[in-house]
Amino acid sequence: MLAGLTAAGVLGAAACTRVASASGTRGGDLLDRLRAQGVVRLGIAGEIPFGYIDRNGHLTGEAPELAKVIFKRLGVDRVQPVPTEFGSLIPGLNSQQFDVVAAGMYVNPERCQQVIFADPDYQMLDSFIVRKGNPKGLHSYRDVVAKKARFATGTGYAEIQYAVEAGYKESDILIVPDQVAGLNAVEAGRVDAFAGTALTAREVVKKSAKAEATKPFAPLVKGKPHVDGGAFAFRPTETRLRDAFNVELRKLRQSGELFRILRPFGFTKAELTDLTAKELCGG
Amino acid sequence: MKWDWNAVSEFMPRFWDGLLVTLEALALGSLLSFTLGLVWALLMRTPSRWVRWPVGVVTEFVRNTPLLVQLFFLFYVLPEWGLTFSALATGVFAIGLHYSTYTMQVYRAGIEAVPAGQWEAATALNLPLRRTWTAVILPQAIRRVVPALGNYVIAMLKDTPMLMVITVLEMLGRARLFSQQHFQFTEPLTVIGVAFVLISYLASLLLRALERRLVR
Repeated sequence: MLAGLTAAGVLGAAACTRVASASGTRGGDLLDRLRAQGVVRLGIAGEIPFGYIDRNGHLTGEAPELAKVIFKRLGVDRVQPVPTEFGSLIPGLNSQQFDVVAAGMYVNPERCQQVIFADPDYQMLDSFIVRKGNPKGLHSYRDVVAKKARFATGTGYAEIQYAVEAGYKESDILIVPDQVAGLNAVEAGRVDAFAGTALTAREVVKKSAKAEATKPFAPLVKGKPHVDGGAFAFRPTETRLRDAFNVELRKLRQSGELFRILRPFGFTKAELTDLTAKELCGG
Repeated sequence: MKWDWNAVSEFMPRFWDGLLVTLEALALGSLLSFTLGLVWALLMRTPSRWVRWPVGVVTEFVRNTPLLVQLFFLFYVLPEWGLTFSALATGVFAIGLHYSTYTMQVYRAGIEAVPAGQWEAATALNLPLRRTWTAVILPQAIRRVVPALGNYVIAMLKDTPMLMVITVLEMLGRARLFSQQHFQFTEPLTVIGVAFVLISYLASLLLRALERRLVR
């Protein structure tokens, strides 16, 4: 299955340059096409609570629920999930496998070179999944380096960069497919810590008797604490859709509806944000 | 589609790391599958059905389930029972075990192809059983099956990318990691594709040379 996804990603990457150069309309006409179809395809990474399929087989999560509301207001009635791996979201978006990434993806400068982001719908700190009682006392990326802990994170996660910034050797990082595999690696004693967003870590350890999540902390980027923001991603040509999306998002934020949508997924007031995609892309 | 030589040169250091892991997994996996396969084949020839039966069931089970499922099982389920091995060790064990159930059939064919006269001569010379096997039967049997075993080495080489799913960073894993960080897929995947062709070709040349020496 994974090999298949990779293959799809490869074909996709090959196709994307052609599509991008062939697109003539300024700002893209995706919104018109979505309205005509009545359905928008959302790329999700199966990550609780950002975007996942629940026990009953329904699409849910912070980003898909938000997408349902916003796209309905934009005149697109239905959303259709396309589950993939986190690392395949951007290649999949650019190769037209889905229309929007609805996975609560962090906005960072590298990703901004590949896709365009709406303004963040939440802000987030990092956290580690560690064994119960945190025997090595790991509370930040610096601790991981100083205590020579074995460290894991997910494919294509922003956390790879944070660990490297703190001085961890990139080739020593264990890269696992997702947060559940990360939890498994901690429980099995393969690593001392798995880094993810504070919310992911909090949610995934709920079912575990052997692991816990550390207190959320801000990773250091260029020596300064950095707060991340997660947002919807669009193909670089589709600026019109992105702008229309931003307008509706802003309205939801002002009316307080945004928080009502996010709250069931474990978000708190502290995770509401005024950050813009532009600030986070600027690096 | 653009070809970027910079991406290639940036990828190369990681490629060598991946190549090393691939070759390591291949060499150890081959060794394990050749040894285990012989053990299975010999056990299947013991007169006691209390040995033949369990060995037959286990090997049929392993042979008839996908390697990918076995990898997931060994890596994600065994630790729940307190058995944790490194990713590479798990991968080598899985490949070795899986392919041993194929090589056992190869050995069986080789052993059965040794003419009955050889057995009779060994009996006539009053050779002990152990010596009959080590000095008469196996040298002839193994010589016959080297080409068939070589095929499995190449098959194993092409199955090593599966280790990617249990976090072993062999060539494909390295290429994918690089692609996802730099969003360039064409170059790293082409590089490892070429590498696979070269390694299989070299391996088949090597095996043909070995064959010529052994099969007379």
